[in-house]
Amino acid sequence: MTTVLSVDALAKTYRSPGRTVEAVRDLTFDIGRGEFVCVVGPSGAGKTTLLRCIAGLMPGTGGSIHLDGTAVTAPPAGMAVVFQEYGRSLFPWLTVRRNVELPLAEKGVPRPARRARVDEALDAVGLSDSGNAHPWQLSGGMQQRVAIARAIAYEPSVLLMDEPFAAVDAQTRAELEDLIRALWHRLGITVLFVTHDIDESVYLGQRVLVLSRSPTEILADLPIDLPAARDQLTTRASPRFTALRAQVYTLIQRAKAGER
Amino acid sequence: MIRRLGLPAVLIGVWWLLSAGSTSFFWPPLSVIARTFPATWTLDPILHDVLPSLARLALGYTIALLAGVTLGVAIGSSATLRACCEPALEFFRAIPPPVLIPVIALFAGYTGWTSKIITIALGCLWPILLNTVDGVRAVDEVLRDTARSYRFGRLAVLRHVVLRGAAPRIVTGARQALSLGVILMVISEMFGADRGLGAAVVQFQRGFAIPQMWTGIILLGLLGVALSALFHLAERRLFAWRSDS
Repeated sequence: MTTVLSVDALAKTYRSPGRTVEAVRDLTFDIGRGEFVCVVGPSGAGKTTLLRCIAGLMPGTGGSIHLDGTAVTAPPAGMAVVFQEYGRSLFPWLTVRRNVELPLAEKGVPRPARRARVDEALDAVGLSDSGNAHPWQLSGGMQQRVAIARAIAYEPSVLLMDEPFAAVDAQTRAELEDLIRALWHRLGITVLFVTHDIDESVYLGQRVLVLSRSPTEILADLPIDLPAARDQLTTRASPRFTALRAQVYTLIQRAKAGER
Repeated sequence: MIRRLGLPAVLIGVWWLLSAGSTSFFWPPLSVIARTFPATWTLDPILHDVLPSLARLALGYTIALLAGVTLGVAIGSSATLRACCEPALEFFRAIPPPVLIPVIALFAGYTGWTSKIITIALGCLWPILLNTVDGVRAVDEVLRDTARSYRFGRLAVLRHVVLRGAAPRIVTGARQALSLGVILMVISEMFGADRGLGAAVVQFQRGFAIPQMWTGIILLGLLGVALSALFHLAERRLFAWRSDS
């Protein structure tokens, strides 16, 4: 498996006059093409810091990040981010279609190809009929679907997701989890999914990276050997799921206790 | 529509009734004022007083809008620039624009268009500028991050994120500036101008042409209503996305 994203000894220390906070101490991991990796950690584990560094929105203070072999110093072309705050990451004054289309236009994709990709992406997230609506006319779950459509239409090497389902209700959340699994399966994309939800990380991922408490290191890199076809009912009820869940849960407790 | 016109109708009715038997020189009956109106605002004063006044207002206002939004975006986007400019801005904002008229006149003269346009533009600038600064600062961080992560160019960020995001505040400033502009349009003509809507009202008053003076004031009020309606129309277009599409 070829490595798409490689994070090497990443460190981030916030410095302001009179105050130094070491958020991330030493993070090293690789993500292979087509993998679905979840990052889970106790609250305040520097998940957001990690994600912002990988997305190129913020420079690290040590180590390096490479996407497709190129060092990440600014937001790279091969990355798309789905933020937790879907309501704030969509352009409220643009229609759903235009929201999905605008990054493609900025990327220089010619109009006919752009149209086709927007149609495909909206279809993939089940929003073919809502193209002309404005985000405020949609429910929270649908708004996050728009953000997902925008990200997959961009055809990134890595899709970064920052607790994308933390702000929707439980039922919608289950739907969106299955949607993202299905998209990953169908499109063969690479997903790095940051969450604080242990069940979600086990249910979604092929691998779960458990972070220590801040200053962050990797506490465990756990393969999730559940069958590829997952289902909210049977998968979550399976003994293997429960065992993995317990394992991650224990790791998180140890992380909270300060183990690294 | 009936609801909108109800209060004005009542006010006119009350004025009409109260002033009906008036013999006061300064409070002529509304019927007299109404009769004077068409005779006062014929083609000649419309061409030589009203339209030039409106043209100066439009010019000054446009200059203020362009300068205010440009400077506001620059100042709002840069913390350094903001730190440098803010005290000075507060100082200039606190100066009532009419007191600048004599100063402006020193450089541009009382008569002619320049001093009037400068007065209007300077007065209208502050509400637009300061509101734009606040609006740009309040643009959502997540939206900015989104634009950055999708590698939007500077121009696209300006167009799709900064200007659209700051639009509600810019419009608020522009609305304040418009009413200020009308006031300044009149005031700028009260000092030594011989033509223009404001000058006409002053001349009527000085010549004791009281009904004519009142018609001038009514005309100003009507212009205000028309301008605000025009503004509302522009606002509706700009924020059409908020209502059902």
